[in-house]
Amino acid sequence: MDASTHDAPSASASMRDIVEAIQPLDGHVVPIKSIQEVNPPEGYDDAYVAEVDIKSASRVIKALDAAFPRDSSLPLNHLRRFCKRDKLPESVKQFVDEAYPQKSSMAPSIFILLGISLPDLEAVRTLLEPFIPVPRARSHSPQEPQETSTPSSPEQSPELTLFRTKIPIYPPASAKVADVWSASLWPVTFNPAASRSTVAPNPQTLNRDQKSIEPRAGYYVSLAREVALEAKQSGRGRGVGAVIVDPRIEAQIDEKAWEEGYNSRERWPQAVVAVAGDCRFARSEAGGPSQMDRHPGIAPNPACETYNSDHEGGPDLHALMRAVELVARSRREDPENEVDLAAMACQPIVHTDPQLSKPNQLSAFEKYFLYEAGSHVIDDDSTSYRPSPATSCQVSPRKRKFAQPNPEAAPISLDTLTEVELPPSTTTTPPLPAPPASDPASLPPAPQEPIEESGNALPTSRIRSRAEGGYLCTSLDVYLSHEPCILIYPRAGRLKSGGLASGPVETQKAVLANGDVDADASHLREDREYYGLHWRKELNWRALGFEFVEDEADENFPPEPIAFHA
Amino acid sequence: MEQEVNSPVIREDSRHGYFMKQALAMGEKALATGETPVGCVLVYNDKIVGSGMNDTNRSMNGTRHAEFLAIAEMLQTYPKSAIKETDLYVTVEPCIMCTAALRQYGIRSVFFGTHNERFGGVGGVLTVHSDKSIDPPYPVYVGLYRKEAITLLRQFYIQENEKAPNPRPKKNRALNTTFDFEEDDQDFMPII
Repeated sequence: MDASTHDAPSASASMRDIVEAIQPLDGHVVPIKSIQEVNPPEGYDDAYVAEVDIKSASRVIKALDAAFPRDSSLPLNHLRRFCKRDKLPESVKQFVDEAYPQKSSMAPSIFILLGISLPDLEAVRTLLEPFIPVPRARSHSPQEPQETSTPSSPEQSPELTLFRTKIPIYPPASAKVADVWSASLWPVTFNPAASRSTVAPNPQTLNRDQKSIEPRAGYYVSLAREVALEAKQSGRGRGVGAVIVDPRIEAQIDEKAWEEGYNSRERWPQAVVAVAGDCRFARSEAGGPSQMDRHPGIAPNPACETYNSDHEGGPDLHALMRAVELVARSRREDPENEVDLAAMACQPIVHTDPQLSKPNQLSAFEKYFLYEAGSHVIDDDSTSYRPSPATSCQVSPRKRKFAQPNPEAAPISLDTLTEVELPPSTTTTPPLPAPPASDPASLPPAPQEPIEESGNALPTSRIRSRAEGGYLCTSLDVYLSHEPCILIYPRAGRLKSGGLASGPVETQKAVLANGDVDADASHLREDREYYGLHWRKELNWRALGFEFVEDEADENFPPEPIAFHA
Repeated sequence: MEQEVNSPVIREDSRHGYFMKQALAMGEKALATGETPVGCVLVYNDKIVGSGMNDTNRSMNGTRHAEFLAIAEMLQTYPKSAIKETDLYVTVEPCIMCTAALRQYGIRSVFFGTHNERFGGVGGVLTVHSDKSIDPPYPVYVGLYRKEAITLLRQFYIQENEKAPNPRPKKNRALNTTFDFEEDDQDFMPII
């Protein structure tokens, strides 16, 4: 790829042209499997099988359930209770045939499964005794046939034989698994409609969201790749990009498209509230040169070619972590921000990503989407941003002082304990003087700042402020060029990536070839675990995860040759 | 993965105890500013080179956990490679994200007060510190000032989170001062 094609354009007008020229990828969206779907919990227990008279089947069930109530925590509803002799799994059938070789001589009978962990086999025998099928010719000598009508008596009644088998204690994850278990262990049923809330997202929800993102996913993943290429060609990082989209804006765009007569596709970029590229090579440590400084003018950065953890800069500089911070930063800059930073002046806003604390460190794409994309007013377009009089005029002066006219300008850095880098130019927004940080209780009141003129203030971002209900990244979607590393902590509504979410090691199956996804974990690598972190019942957050599967491989975006954390 | 060992070198009156006390002080600071009270310090050559507290509410960034802030501070003065000789003392088990980040940063070892059964990454829910990965695993030790770490969290969780979209009313909740572990269960528990 020619580096010059990704040179940062100087004017946002050309940036807008570039964004509008991005072509959606052709492909489809596939839900990412949960850990239970990929590695279904397996558990087996011993159970017993007994032969009973077919006519007494329902009475047997009643008697058994009364004597041995079922464990509600382990309902075992997937197990069939009865099985005909010819359907017995091979392991059981073998012993049955040995015990009762004369199949044809049997009275009509059926085999019942006796639940797991039976307390007392003798009690079971006593219980089942009345239901033992009276054999036509149960004896080992077929020459001595018995009449079926003869009521069973202790002398004539054969011993109840209990056959042992293993049973799966969890429902089968698929019809295929059900078939395998039915043939080898005990007949089971697969119920695709069963509630699987602890195993995977609700199928209706998943389906609905899959449908809603399908038309646009190819565009947003394509944009994520452009952001990724920009990051790589800048020498600042690896080729990983993240795009955060607000589905509420998408819905508004779709809603208005018909009545206002525009093609909603032209407005897709407006739903993007932030993008971020990887910049792991741009971190300078201990004031020394960064990997980028070491290789000035060389892009991609030579550090891309290997994995050396000393050169990786740190996960705070990964694309998704930066994108999350851009959303947060935008909220902090909101003049209506209810959190009074002055009241908390004992602590700095620590820029864990030093790139975001320096001036002019946003890439062209990052800057465009954070501050400009939504503000192009299109005639008769209610979805594009218009500065609202309420926000631009009625902000209280007390709050307005925290609205930084230039987002790249000084962060408010106040702590002597954690010396956050200050940008060299602090003329427009002088940082507040740092009070002693040792004892918050004895802090002097925050000094009054001169009220800034907000004439050149940027328009309010499309990122919903806290006052508007915006909270962390909830209700937002993220599209990623790569499967994210295990760090992902999205608090995002939905997660779509070019790869399978959730390995600790990003080996970047960026976009899998057609049809490669349904195979059971076939593309999982041996050198990493599958976490399925987007949907774990153990965790206190969950997101829907999807993979965008391209119809044809993108030659501009080949799979990464080495393993790294995206 | 986890075994309990009584080790005389890592009692609360040891240098480990001292550093955990500093982490607890950071946690107190977090509590005082309305943050989830988790604090930590990074120790390199017997010196605290970074300290952090949870900062998610104020920064409005859910990833601003104590560990990230401490590392950001350390890297102001030290190269990243120094983290390989650095130990982390944190009041509560690192979450999955931080566990993974610490591994990518190459932390030498992690000491923490109490497990986190909702999103802990070093045994609470997952074992990201030792699972297969491209980075070397690191040892972790649990139990130092466990009670103090839990009490800090309890003090926080009886408050209401007015930042949450749907705050839950928690009036009349009293601080629970009982612990379901033995009084003398204060020794260190290395988790290999």
